[in-house]
Amino acid sequence: MEDVKAYIETGILELYVLGELSQDEKNQVEEMASKHPQIKAEIAEIERSLEAYAAANAVEPPEQLRDKVLNSLLTTFADDSKFPSREFLENDIDDEVDEAVNDNVVPLPVAKSGSFYKYAFAACLAALIASIAAIYSLNERLNESYGQIASLQQRNQTFASRVNYMQGEIDIFHDPTFKLVKLQGTPKTPASQLTVAWNPVKKKVMIDMQAMKLAANDEAHQYQLWAIVNGKPVDLGVFDAKPDSTGMIEMNPVANAAAFAVTLEKRGGVPSPTMSQMVVIATI
Amino acid sequence: MSPKRKISLTEEELVLALRNREKIAADALYDMYSSSLFGVISRIITDTAIAEDVLQETFIKIWNSFSSYSAEKGRLFTWMVNIARNLSIDKVRSKDFKNQSKNHELENNVTFIDEQRNTVYKPELLGLKDLVDKLKPEQKIILELVYFKGYTHVEVSEELDVPLGTVKTRLRMAIIELRKYFN
Repeated sequence: MEDVKAYIETGILELYVLGELSQDEKNQVEEMASKHPQIKAEIAEIERSLEAYAAANAVEPPEQLRDKVLNSLLTTFADDSKFPSREFLENDIDDEVDEAVNDNVVPLPVAKSGSFYKYAFAACLAALIASIAAIYSLNERLNESYGQIASLQQRNQTFASRVNYMQGEIDIFHDPTFKLVKLQGTPKTPASQLTVAWNPVKKKVMIDMQAMKLAANDEAHQYQLWAIVNGKPVDLGVFDAKPDSTGMIEMNPVANAAAFAVTLEKRGGVPSPTMSQMVVIATI
Repeated sequence: MSPKRKISLTEEELVLALRNREKIAADALYDMYSSSLFGVISRIITDTAIAEDVLQETFIKIWNSFSSYSAEKGRLFTWMVNIARNLSIDKVRSKDFKNQSKNHELENNVTFIDEQRNTVYKPELLGLKDLVDKLKPEQKIILELVYFKGYTHVEVSEELDVPLGTVKTRLRMAIIELRKYFN
């Protein structure tokens, strides 16, 4: 009996339960256990306490794992039922747990999940980089397009306003209420010419800069348009004559004029015309 | 926790049903032991996905090699937990795993796990802290290394630099404390 107690105290039974003994040692313990009920009881106690300890430290696996595991068991169950004898044959030869276990090892594809995630992550990263590059280049092209649209809009607007403007000019020539008055050069300036478009109804006065033939004025002087109303000169405004002048410009309005004349005056104009500086004139 | 009723059988009924390879045996096996086994596996393997894989492998091995279990030689759980522990250790020591695993300080491991997962609520667990307090630190570390880290007693002896005999004695003392507590 003392032997049994000493045997128990060595701690070999704990190692037996923890699966730490060699096959020889295991056989020895099992032989002792079959001889001595006290040893068998001791083993049972150790097992129960370690089982309780594991239960106290239990961790609930995720719920969806239950179906996965049970399905994999049923799959192997179906396979096994076709070949029921194989397993028993092997296990009859060797009923040692670990080896029997190794005989039935089924390599699981799931074990590769770690590297799968690694590759999946790399693929995601590559896709992300490609996406960013694509977005960047698309954005470049979008900005380019915006620039093109803006410049096209600007050109379009320029054209539209030019068309409007020219339409206005054409209207003048088409409008029967407009009178086209051709001012001719004075003996001092025989080559000078200016066309005034005058609408007595709307009191509008325009001068045609395109067809104008006047000597270019300098910085200190400007041409001044006059209308003769009831024998008195009325100031219709000043303008510049440049070699590249185009279009028409609108002058001050006048309702009834007996004549139009242009004098060269100092810049900004004067209250009454300097008759000696008259360049063109026309009576109506 | 689960809305489904968990199946529970006595150990004798379960062993019989497993021998006859009945479907209910698989369900009961999972419901009765998955959390205890997962507790051991997930303390050895901290990566959740790998721990789940190993739990599945464990059940497949239990199922496929059940004919090699002998009730004469010990309790069902003892046999199963050794399969789970061996599979876990094989996984941890495999080259594949070493490359990707992060190492946690041993002492922090249990608390780390408990923070990470929903440990099962058990009324008797309320006293578990008392138990852990009762264990001497040197008993606690040996129990932890052997039961939850899968060290052999030889490795523990080397790791802690204590004689093999001392390791055995301390392990026995620790398990005696467990017995006092649980029985």
